Amino acid sequence: MTTETLTATQERARPQPRRLALGSWLLSGYGIVGYLFLYLPIIIVVIFSFNDSRSTAKWAGFTIDWYREMLADRQIILSLWNSLFVAIVSTAISTVMGTLAAMGLERYSFRGKLAVDSILYLPIIIPDIAMAIMLLIFFNVSGIGFEPWRVQFLGNRLAVPYSVIIGHVAFNISFVAVVVRARLANMDRTLEEAAQDLYANTWQTFRRVTLPMLMPGILGGALLAFTLSLDDFVITFFTSGAGFNTLPVRVFGMIKKGVTPKINAVSTLMLLFSLALIFISILLRTRAGDEEETIQFGM
Amino acid sequence: MDSTPAVELCDVVKTFGEVTAVDHVSIQIQDGEFFSLLGPSGCGKTTTLRLIAGFEMPTSGEIRIGGETQGFRPPFRRPVNTVFQQYALFPHMTVYENVAFGLQMQKIDRAEIRRRVGEALEMVHLQGMEKRRPKQLSGGQQQRVALARALVNRPKVLLLDEPLGALDLKLRKAMQLELKSLQEHVGITFIYVTHDQEEALTMSDRIAVMNEGKVLQIDAPAELYENPKHRFVADFIGETNFLPVKIVQLHPDIVVELGDGTRLPAGWAEEHLRVGQEAMLSIRPEKINLYEERELSPPNATTARVQGTVERLVYVGTDTHHTVRLRNGDTIVARLQNFYVEEEPWEVGETTYAQWDAAHARVLSKE
Repeated sequence: MTTETLTATQERARPQPRRLALGSWLLSGYGIVGYLFLYLPIIIVVIFSFNDSRSTAKWAGFTIDWYREMLADRQIILSLWNSLFVAIVSTAISTVMGTLAAMGLERYSFRGKLAVDSILYLPIIIPDIAMAIMLLIFFNVSGIGFEPWRVQFLGNRLAVPYSVIIGHVAFNISFVAVVVRARLANMDRTLEEAAQDLYANTWQTFRRVTLPMLMPGILGGALLAFTLSLDDFVITFFTSGAGFNTLPVRVFGMIKKGVTPKINAVSTLMLLFSLALIFISILLRTRAGDEEETIQFGM
Repeated sequence: MDSTPAVELCDVVKTFGEVTAVDHVSIQIQDGEFFSLLGPSGCGKTTTLRLIAGFEMPTSGEIRIGGETQGFRPPFRRPVNTVFQQYALFPHMTVYENVAFGLQMQKIDRAEIRRRVGEALEMVHLQGMEKRRPKQLSGGQQQRVALARALVNRPKVLLLDEPLGALDLKLRKAMQLELKSLQEHVGITFIYVTHDQEEALTMSDRIAVMNEGKVLQIDAPAELYENPKHRFVADFIGETNFLPVKIVQLHPDIVVELGDGTRLPAGWAEEHLRVGQEAMLSIRPEKINLYEERELSPPNATTARVQGTVERLVYVGTDTHHTVRLRNGDTIVARLQNFYVEEEPWEVGETTYAQWDAAHARVLSKE
């Protein structure tokens, strides 16, 4: 900072320094209260997952027993594997379908495009519970879906109802499509023309230019889908039928029998998982930001 | 040069909905020619280029490249390459990968690709930049990569869409000369789209001036400037004076009349004009000289002369622009070179006689 700007700042600040200080103090205070409101419950959950007592209200010393107990609980571990399996499979399917939907809506015009466009947003807008009931009715009426997919997943024998995976795909497609489409809309189309001009046919153009340029959007969409699938309770609960639990559904079942620090431990684990995913998505988005600059430079 | 044209457009029309972007355009471009499409924005020049490249398909008419009818052939099956206005370099690839892209798509073997990419980068003075990404290059360097990426394929025809538009003035001037000598060196037909008349005049062998989707005149730069055949061409290329006139006589010599009855001979008139019609007399400012009454020679049939008063002088270094108000109220500008410093200058309000060789005066349709 040069002396000139320093004096300028001082001069501007001089007329009402007191009030300004008070204002910024209040603003900081408001910020802190706001963050406490949001994060205090989470912090408490994390702290009491280490509490050496069955009580979730009084601190009685540090322990990792609840984590041990959690890991020993085969029901919890099984539901964790169920969650991961559903998330991975539904993310894979919805990423491909969502990306194709985005391409179709952004690049082609066809009869009924507006309708398809609006319908695609529905799962984002309507309440989960409405979507869940619609899916439940659909599976009941059609009679498909509730039979389990018996599969060996990383050494665990799972029986996952198709209905759960179909339900997750149904809402994830929309989120992937929206994210990919935003990326696609920002993409410079002359890049594709340039590829075609350089003898790349339609498939090669997609493979060598469009897809790599879209990749940050596709990965972002996939990550979003994965997180949403992992967190989902309502739709899973309604579409799973009897005897199938993902982690959130399992936690809900445990809470009915009373809150124990074991639930805190499970919640902390899920929190860590979500944090890791958010971290990856931020990393990806920063990289995507770099690319965006490039495109704008190229425009 | 008398072989088949490199590119031939036969009565090409392109409409977008209600809008006619290219309106019955016919052009023949010779092998090895530096050919420019010149016109204001929205005149259809870029659409014409995109039709040749295959990014757009003609509504009617035919495009032939090297004698071969293109029809609805997609861009990747046409023996042309394009340098895009904003370069359109692939941001996720290095300079080397960008330049090698076209060769890879043509399934040329790797050693050959390596050699040709090296050559192309050398040609545009970018050796040692292979590993960089486009965003790590300056505008001028990106421009060169775009050029190398197209030329490495040795196309029959190179299409350039305002490739210098994004560069600053000084770099643009340098690149103009470089492009021209590059074109002479590689001997490839260049089709160059620009709205900058000076750029077109500097580089082109021939220029097609376009407006509102139509080609108005195709000629060599000097011919275009000296002998415009259309009012728009006279106006768009360089500067000119337009005097509203009435045609008095067309044969054997052309004579027109100003509003105040002054009769002036002219060198050329548009063919469809008839005696008695209103028209525009176009005369370039540097063709006009100013005389005092005592300096005048006796009038003759090949010299046009009008009387007026000096109204304004604008000194621009090499020349001084003299605005002369004629007796009928029209003004003309004479651009006199500042040849002798000690010469007695004209003063505002002085009576003067503007005189020019009738051959330089052209009678153009008023529209």
